[in-house]
Amino acid sequence: MLNKYFMLRFYKGWQIFIQNPLGKTGVIILGVFMVMAIASFFVPLIDPMYDPMTGIDPDIKLSTGPSLTHWLGTDNVGRDILAQLLEGAKVAFVVGLSAAFFSIVIGTLVGMIAGYAGGLLDASLMRLADIIMVLPSLVILLILASLFGQFNIWIIVFIIAIMRWPAVSRVIRSQTLSLKHRPFIEASRVAGASHVRIIFRHIMPNVLPLAFLYMTFRVTAAILVEAALSFLGFGDPSQVSWGMMLQWVWKSGHMFQAPYWLIPPGLCISLLTLAFYMLGRAMDEVLDPRLRKEGQSG
Amino acid sequence: MEKTDTKNRLLVELKQVTKAYAPKKRWFVRSSQPVLALNSIDLGIEHGEVFGLVGQSGSGKTTTGRLLAKLESPTAGEIYFDKTPISQLKGVRLKAYRSRVQMIFQDPYQSLNPHLSIAETVLEPLMVQGIGTRDTRMEKVVHTLDLVGLSPGEAFCHRYPHQLSGGQRQRVAIARAIVLEPQFIVADEPTSMLDATIAIQLFKLLQEIKETFGMTFLFITHNLAAARYMCDRIAVIHEGHIVEVNTAENIIRHPEHPYTKKLIKVQPGFKYGR
Repeated sequence: MLNKYFMLRFYKGWQIFIQNPLGKTGVIILGVFMVMAIASFFVPLIDPMYDPMTGIDPDIKLSTGPSLTHWLGTDNVGRDILAQLLEGAKVAFVVGLSAAFFSIVIGTLVGMIAGYAGGLLDASLMRLADIIMVLPSLVILLILASLFGQFNIWIIVFIIAIMRWPAVSRVIRSQTLSLKHRPFIEASRVAGASHVRIIFRHIMPNVLPLAFLYMTFRVTAAILVEAALSFLGFGDPSQVSWGMMLQWVWKSGHMFQAPYWLIPPGLCISLLTLAFYMLGRAMDEVLDPRLRKEGQSG
Repeated sequence: MEKTDTKNRLLVELKQVTKAYAPKKRWFVRSSQPVLALNSIDLGIEHGEVFGLVGQSGSGKTTTGRLLAKLESPTAGEIYFDKTPISQLKGVRLKAYRSRVQMIFQDPYQSLNPHLSIAETVLEPLMVQGIGTRDTRMEKVVHTLDLVGLSPGEAFCHRYPHQLSGGQRQRVAIARAIVLEPQFIVADEPTSMLDATIAIQLFKLLQEIKETFGMTFLFITHNLAAARYMCDRIAVIHEGHIVEVNTAENIIRHPEHPYTKKLIKVQPGFKYGR
């Protein structure tokens, strides 16, 4: 799967990608968040009071603004906001990437099978995709959460993935349809290759770049859904996330009293989703030569 | 029409084969007439001959090749390979048939998967047919690459299709087709995408292969000069009908059917060997 041709294409694609201002900005912002997510592992080691969930500054009773010990201030029980923000970055990456990963795995498999098999299987899989595509994922999650109580973060990830594969599968299906009748697939059939072999050996490497492109857009969606869910109070209560921080600001009545508490998580959600969106747009340009400016080569 | 009452045993026989492409049935839409690509044709290909199938675009010559490679099934009629009907083959027997019949495609830029190295491409038929061990397969691949003129074979193994020229790619496609040492090869306009000098080289290569392995070829082309150079016998196909079958020399020198005459007249003047 990860063969030399793939690496070569990746390398060439990367060069076009990094020429693109959107791609460059996206990568820089992502880098900053990456550093934040990594830092979240070390902050609680400095002092137990910097633990984002349980660390309480014994000297502080109310929410306070930025100070030397708490650069971004504390929340109403004395937990450090910067520590929570860093932890939130980690959670956003985990939620976004894993939900996106699961949804492209499902979407790619369904798309390849539907496109390759055709006929009744294709029709039924695509109708199923249509049904799921028109379901509002946030509302479904809210209903499920209110039915079954608050979910573990991984169950949320899983449900987001289940709700978000149809768009991927449609794109992969159409790509598979155009690949299916290419002579190299037919040559493989003439050699006696099985359908499974043709799908995984011949079709998959050719649709993977597209799947990765869609993964970046799925990441954006997953982060937003998780944030919205947490803000509405249906997130995982044992897990700090940016949406959860916003929920705490709101619940404790600090919406207009503590801008140092309200603004950072909101800003982070917008910036991270923006970064993934820019990444996706720049990748789009790599995969679709028609979008490239003159003089850029691939 | 059929003039094949010869002493040789027939390897491939098409009896009343018809292939119709029916338009998709839709609700509330009156469907149009099915397109007849092949209209009950009869053909016999003898052991060890190069049989040419000549016709213009859309005449059904490629369809015939695809039927023989079992990429498609006939609408009516039956194809016999070595006296066995092939339309009902499934599973293990189909796989066995596939090891005996291979195909060379027209466009070498489309017939190789860009993600597979040359070795992987040529290795695939051996792997799916479960022939040999890892080492003997690799040996076989290198040997086959040498045989098709990509030598040294080891040097080409790890290259990718985009690093090769059109002629080299087509040699890889030929290597993939002969690596199983099939009895019958369908060559579907193997040189129409390549320039003339390379085409001649490939014709010579195919003849060498034919002599080495004693394979039977169905050589599909629109080029009468190429067919004359390559083939023992030629069938002329026109709008799904076989209009004339004869030895290559007779077709060129004494065409009987008006369509064949027309076809010879419109061929550009240069013929190989002049």
